[in-house]
Amino acid sequence: MNIKRIISKIEKNYIIHNLKKEERIDGRGLWEYRNWKIDHDLIASAEGSADVQLGDTHVITGLKYEVGEPFPDVPDEGVCTIMAELLPLASPLFERGPPDEQSIELARVVDRGIRHADCVQTKKLCIKENEAVYILFVDMYVINYAGNLIDAGGVSALVSLISSHVPEGKLVEGNLEWTGKYITGDTIVKELPLVLTYGKIEDMIFLDPNLPEELICEGRMSISVTEDKVTSIQKSGPATFSVDEIKMLCQKSMEIGKKLRKGLDLWQYKVDYK
Amino acid sequence: MPLIIKDEYPTKLFREDGKRLDGRDKHELRPIKMKVGVIHNADGSAYLEWGNNKVYAAVYGPREVHPHHLAKPDRGILRVFYRMATFSVFDRKRPAPGRREKEISMIITDCLEPVLFLELYPGTAFEVFIDVMDADGGTRCASTTVAALALADAGIPMRSLVTSVAIGRIDGELVTDLSGIEDKAGGADLPCAITWFNEEISLLQFDGDMSLDEINQCLLLAKDAMAKIYQIQLETLKNKYITIQQETTGGGQ
Repeated sequence: MNIKRIISKIEKNYIIHNLKKEERIDGRGLWEYRNWKIDHDLIASAEGSADVQLGDTHVITGLKYEVGEPFPDVPDEGVCTIMAELLPLASPLFERGPPDEQSIELARVVDRGIRHADCVQTKKLCIKENEAVYILFVDMYVINYAGNLIDAGGVSALVSLISSHVPEGKLVEGNLEWTGKYITGDTIVKELPLVLTYGKIEDMIFLDPNLPEELICEGRMSISVTEDKVTSIQKSGPATFSVDEIKMLCQKSMEIGKKLRKGLDLWQYKVDYK
Repeated sequence: MPLIIKDEYPTKLFREDGKRLDGRDKHELRPIKMKVGVIHNADGSAYLEWGNNKVYAAVYGPREVHPHHLAKPDRGILRVFYRMATFSVFDRKRPAPGRREKEISMIITDCLEPVLFLELYPGTAFEVFIDVMDADGGTRCASTTVAALALADAGIPMRSLVTSVAIGRIDGELVTDLSGIEDKAGGADLPCAITWFNEEISLLQFDGDMSLDEINQCLLLAKDAMAKIYQIQLETLKNKYITIQQETTGGGQ
């Protein structure tokens, strides 16, 4: 309730002072996440859904599908698009209206992390080459904003894809027929890319900025990693990062990413629809 | 969770044993679960699960009015924004708010305004954001009910709570609380809401065809059902303070 557009100087100094001692205002270490709480497949109308809470940040994501024509350059591949909406319900900082920069950045960073990671098996989303493919829509809705939407959004998009159950169809003489079976998450998803966001204030860098930290951050770095590769990086905010810092962050992302992937155990959220 | 591949309507909406498709009696409500204070950033908030409907509501205010020309010098204004998530319906909804959502926002505003003391807050706005995450018939009733709860949770002075329910006719019989499939395949649908301080109807819409007698009966049935939902609303609000009390006194009285 006490969210402000402006953080007072005294609070800013307090946060910075603590960071210098490698402490956070919420008692975490520099490289620790807040608590994760994940629920899956809770939206009956969606073909896959996730409810992810990272500390007080809360994101609900759902997956819907349409059958459409493939892009001409990849005639045998389905499409997966990601959208994000920062609901004005989630924070007094969010306003009504068409998507703003922040929500577009959120959707695009999550999208790139997933797209470049051999995560969504687009070839499995093809019904008939050149004619019909699945178009998946992964739509993220922010319910409460308390910093670091990108990491929470990334996990919620993955959980919706993993918990997905899209009816299987085939083309019979130009007409779409449903086989009664479902294409589930274990077919659609292969790699699990995780996106990790760091904040930077002065020369201090830390993982998973909470809201006050995010509001005074001079810069942010989001790095998506799979088990053995970096798949996307986004630097935002007016800060600059040295080459050594970037190297260090990529290294850290691989380590923390491995631990997080094991800790969250996302495959437990797949559903069986036969 | 049962899945439908085709959006087909059954021809019969009652089962062999006389119960409705989801196993309910004619005037049985779907299971209702409410919670308040679910969105920490908001001044007041509530979450409602009503059958498969899942709705969040958050209240911000009194706060500055944007755009400024909407502000009234002698009283506050109430603005309600009802939205549905793209994945809350059978065919993916377009992300931008449509005509239906704007109309429902308006009727919910008009429904809630009588219970507020807006004249105490000149020049300000109360904004209620309602987001439907999952929809299965009766979302406007669920939204009205949950919005009233969020307003109460925000500690805004109110004359009373507001409760809403829909009565409809399926296969020639009046039933309480239509589900999505009954709403689409049934014959008539009458959503209404009650303001408890004067026990009058504050939201009323009707689609279909009914005799005068049936409409009278609908309103009586609605009042019975709303009284039950009202109790859940009151319990939910009370429970919040009981929980706080238990936390502060360490589980004592």
